Amino acid sequence: MAAGSDAELLEDLLAVEERLISAYEAALRREAIDPKLGDTLRDHENAHVEGLLRALRDSGGTRSPRAKVPTPELTAALRDRAAFARYALALEADAVAAYRLIVAQISSPSLRQALGSIMACEAAHEVALRESLGARPLVD
Amino acid sequence: MKASLRPMAPSITRREALGGAAAALVLASCGGDDPPPGGGPKPGSGAALLGSLLALEHAVVAAYAACEEVLHDDALRNTRAIAQQERRHAARLQQLIRDLGGDPPSGRSAEEYARTFPRLRTGRDALRFAEDLEQRQVRAYLEALAELPDLGLRSATAEIAAEEGEHLAAVRVLAGLPAAEGPFVTGAL
Repeated sequence: MAAGSDAELLEDLLAVEERLISAYEAALRREAIDPKLGDTLRDHENAHVEGLLRALRDSGGTRSPRAKVPTPELTAALRDRAAFARYALALEADAVAAYRLIVAQISSPSLRQALGSIMACEAAHEVALRESLGARPLVD
Repeated sequence: MKASLRPMAPSITRREALGGAAAALVLASCGGDDPPPGGGPKPGSGAALLGSLLALEHAVVAAYAACEEVLHDDALRNTRAIAQQERRHAARLQQLIRDLGGDPPSGRSAEEYARTFPRLRTGRDALRFAEDLEQRQVRAYLEALAELPDLGLRSATAEIAAEEGEHLAAVRVLAGLPAAEGPFVTGAL
């Protein structure tokens, strides 16, 4: 991922968050995740999007519309809860990796710190999903 | 859930990030007030900040050893895995400080640390102590992420911060709590 303006970098993070929301919403609709866990994770991602959009506006950017099409991988993962948890775990790991990469490049120090707090939340989601799979240890 | 991503108020000083009531014990023992590593790093290189993070890591490794004395089974296995990662963080920080021409601060003896830790009678005490320490670590790394001047150092710090986020969540799960307290870990917003 090439270095860009803060607005461009925030757009990349929004795309990551929207992928997570789509996945959790689909899983909740198909009962492919425990409802309490699914609601919590989706609500967190929605809060992240809300914050990212505000930060994007503050940095002078605008959100480009993006198509939302379920991937074949998501469709396959919705067959049962374990399959979805493994799929979501991989998505969350990708999200943490994206935040790790991007947060260091953000020019605003206070925004770096705020985005870091979202990154830590995505890392916590990985732990929650490992817990749902009965995986040990909880840390990777 | 209402949230925003306003820049955080500069209300968390480095001392507060490492400090607070229980953590004052840790700070007193971990060298948080020690002078920056001596030697050649340029002022503003980030070496002093990395030294503070390293001092905290040393104290946390010692704290997990204390926790292990009262933990059992699954909690013990998990905290051992976490402590192993903390030792890797310490090694990484040592290397980063050396790369900047600095002299990494060494930890104190187990006895010196132990004198400043709260008495841990039960596994629940240990997990509460561990949660407190992990919260302080996440805060300290996120503050460093804001302050470090160099992209490479920020990348390294971000990587460790993400793992500290996992540790915090794991300790919370072991204590019977939700992995994440909210969408912005450590109440950073």
